[in-house]
Amino acid sequence: MSQHLSLAVFDTDAAAASLDGEDASESRGDFLQKAVVAGGIVISGGILIGGLPTFAASAPSPEQDAEILNFALTLEYIEAAFYTETARKARVSPELLEFAKIVGAHERAHVAFLKKALGNKAVKKPKLDFGDTTTVSKKFAATAAKLEDTGVAAYNGQAANLTKPALAAAAKIVSVEARHAAWIRAIMGRNPAPAATDTPLSKAEATAALNKTSFIKAAS
Amino acid sequence: MTSSGKGPEMKHGEELTLETLDQDGAIRETLDAMPSDSRRDFLRKSAGIGLLGVLAVPSAAEAATPKGDVAILNYALTLEYLQAAFYTETQRVGAVRGRLARVPTQVGAVERAHVSAIRKVLGSKSVKRPSFNFQGVTEDANKFLKTAVAFEDLAVAAYKSQAARIKSPAVLAAAIAIHSVEARHAAWMRYLVGINPAANAFDEGKPINEVQRIVKSTRFIVSSPRKTAKGKPRFTG
Repeated sequence: MSQHLSLAVFDTDAAAASLDGEDASESRGDFLQKAVVAGGIVISGGILIGGLPTFAASAPSPEQDAEILNFALTLEYIEAAFYTETARKARVSPELLEFAKIVGAHERAHVAFLKKALGNKAVKKPKLDFGDTTTVSKKFAATAAKLEDTGVAAYNGQAANLTKPALAAAAKIVSVEARHAAWIRAIMGRNPAPAATDTPLSKAEATAALNKTSFIKAAS
Repeated sequence: MTSSGKGPEMKHGEELTLETLDQDGAIRETLDAMPSDSRRDFLRKSAGIGLLGVLAVPSAAEAATPKGDVAILNYALTLEYLQAAFYTETQRVGAVRGRLARVPTQVGAVERAHVSAIRKVLGSKSVKRPSFNFQGVTEDANKFLKTAVAFEDLAVAAYKSQAARIKSPAVLAAAIAIHSVEARHAAWMRYLVGINPAANAFDEGKPINEVQRIVKSTRFIVSSPRKTAKGKPRFTG
């Protein structure tokens, strides 16, 4: 197919989902796709991520580790809050609710791990608003798949920028994110592992992907 | 992982690159977008072409793969040989039917792409493909799935424990991008078996000797892989 993966993961997946036919187009039209992409520029209905730390990749160093791990921490904050809210509201289907409970516990553990590793350098949790993605099964599933796929790609994209000890730690997290991604895709009837390698996202690409969700309202 | 990196220096420094991985995204989209029948055909004929096509571009001489990375890649290659042969044989035998039939086809195509990609990087330093006897597990859907779970969980743990030992950033990027796909496979197989796809918040790695002991215990490998370069891989047990 002729589509390019030059934009955020979200576009790719929504397009793939609709072409799959297994994943009704309903879940894409009104949802993350609200953020329109025109000419590669993300036009989001929400507030762009301001809470994400910025950094320029250079040779691995403890300082750069902190920047990358803070970026990871923000991703994990979003995932943890998303699943925790879904489990608390308990309005999605039983299978998805079980997924949210198990995965939510993992993401909270990732948050705790990263916060501990970062100590007083840890960024604060941003203010988040998930809309109805935590209560409508279809939207929940589509969002979970996108968050997890983005998490895998974001971690993979930073592997070579981390010092070896930080890499060893991050590697223990990224494969769990990949398991989550495959799991939710399996539940949705989509291909759990659609490529021979997981394409990495740069920090800028991953940030753009998160911006499109409009979940982050402000850095608190 | 001590001996398999003792061969001569690589003459041509082909490496897995980030561009390689981006390229592969095209395959992902194609596969996701295809109906399952044509997807199966596509996978059989061309999975990994994106990966391999870019790998065929020779890179600069200074990009030669470091020795330790060669050893790690050969270790990974043997695991990929094992997995590729397992799924390929299952597909050929045809005992896994119905909704599960696409599993050995799709996963097998991916594992074969991993084999091809790693061999391309290693060139003449690649360990040879061993002979296998899968003891009948490719002939029964239940045994197939349980073996697949074990293989995939093992592959995740094996790649993970090597990640921080890899010197070349390009090799690392490729290995880590394969590592997460093995994790996807593991979760998928677990889902099909009906067990928790993500049992823990953190996946632990397994050291080489532990992985080798587990592989040896399966008795799936019946002949020693040989190398074109001198030195014997320890993987044969």
